[in-house]
Amino acid sequence: MIAKWRLWLGGGLLVAVIAAALYFPALRRQVNVAKQLTEKSAEQARRELLPPAPASSGDPKVRVKMFWGSKAGDSFTPVTVELPLSVDPVLRAKQVLNTLLAGPIDPEARTLPADAALLAFYLLPDGTGVADFSESMSTSIPSGIQSEQMAVDSITRTLEANVPQVQRLKILIHGQEMDTLAGHLDLTQTFLVNTSGLGTQPAKPSAASILTSPIHKAVETMKSVTKR
Amino acid sequence: MGLNIVVLDPAHGGTDLGARGTEGIRESEVILEFSSRLKQTLEAQGFQVLTTRDGNDNPSFDDRSARANAQRGAIFITLHIASTGLPGTVRTYVMPEFPSATNTTGLISWDRAQAPFVGLSRKLGDLVQQDLARRFRGSPATATVAPVRQLRTTAAPAIAVEISSVVVQQRGELDRMIPGVADAITHGVVAFRPSYILPLVSSGGGATQP
Repeated sequence: MIAKWRLWLGGGLLVAVIAAALYFPALRRQVNVAKQLTEKSAEQARRELLPPAPASSGDPKVRVKMFWGSKAGDSFTPVTVELPLSVDPVLRAKQVLNTLLAGPIDPEARTLPADAALLAFYLLPDGTGVADFSESMSTSIPSGIQSEQMAVDSITRTLEANVPQVQRLKILIHGQEMDTLAGHLDLTQTFLVNTSGLGTQPAKPSAASILTSPIHKAVETMKSVTKR
Repeated sequence: MGLNIVVLDPAHGGTDLGARGTEGIRESEVILEFSSRLKQTLEAQGFQVLTTRDGNDNPSFDDRSARANAQRGAIFITLHIASTGLPGTVRTYVMPEFPSATNTTGLISWDRAQAPFVGLSRKLGDLVQQDLARRFRGSPATATVAPVRQLRTTAAPAIAVEISSVVVQQRGELDRMIPGVADAITHGVVAFRPSYILPLVSSGGGATQP
């Protein structure tokens, strides 16, 4: 009698374990989907809260040099385009970076992920620009030192050519200071912008200078904006 | 103190597969074989070779740097395969100049551990890249400067070597590059050995970890 009771109990437990094993992968998928939706919703809400750069229809058209990549992805092919640009350096920086993000006609010459967005841009009194990009800038970029360096250099060179007030650049991802862009390039430092000879040229510094105190203030400002 | 230890760092591993390409190529796997080949060629030249990983695990940046920072008379080489770039080329990267920070004990800050070694790293990087440029057409003639996170916390002459790329049509194309890249790195390290004179950064010779 006792053996029969144990048999039923054991059988019941076995059925429960099998059911749980079958259900667990589906549950994990559902959790992951829910997590992604939550992250996307938060980012979408933030994009909606932050006003986009104005269309600037009243601004005069000027010749703008954009630094998109070559097909091989190892050098730059500067392209000159005419854009209505604001004289305000912050708006101007937003306009040229949004154009850079929109990409060239040839999609193979892109240096930045197609789904990345500029969430905010600030300019500190010491000439440090703070660019806050969406998470796609980090998650969708091809993995590697060269691809990450090309992405950052395309941003710094485009700013250098079109917004002379920006001397250094700090990159944030979704309002946060990150250790790396996508596992390789160091984002804890600022990148030099307003200097000639930047980039992938050998034996010339393409980026990075010391982290200065105003940057910490900027990061704190960004965090408070994000929290609000 | 002469150069006698080479710390090899096969990048990525574990759940971090690194660059992924056609034909199921995974950077984290190919790079382990590359590291193994390079270890053999360096040992044949009399170097003691340590690695930051031998299996499918993924140590942190700091743990990888710590492997080199715990040694004296060592150099550090982190190995990568790119997602992009001209296939069949190889680039060596070194950190840009950045200020060193020492505390009252004379120890250098862990976050800026590479600062006193940037000059030596550039010399090592140029020697390695010159050999790579001879073997792999289209590669730069000298090392490229880039703020690579892994190098920043390494208190030793340190370089990153990245092969282009996982977009090759077949895995065999990458496999065929590996012996040449390993030989070029080894030649560069051998050429660098006479100029290996450590900068006087502290009495202890180490970096302080936070």
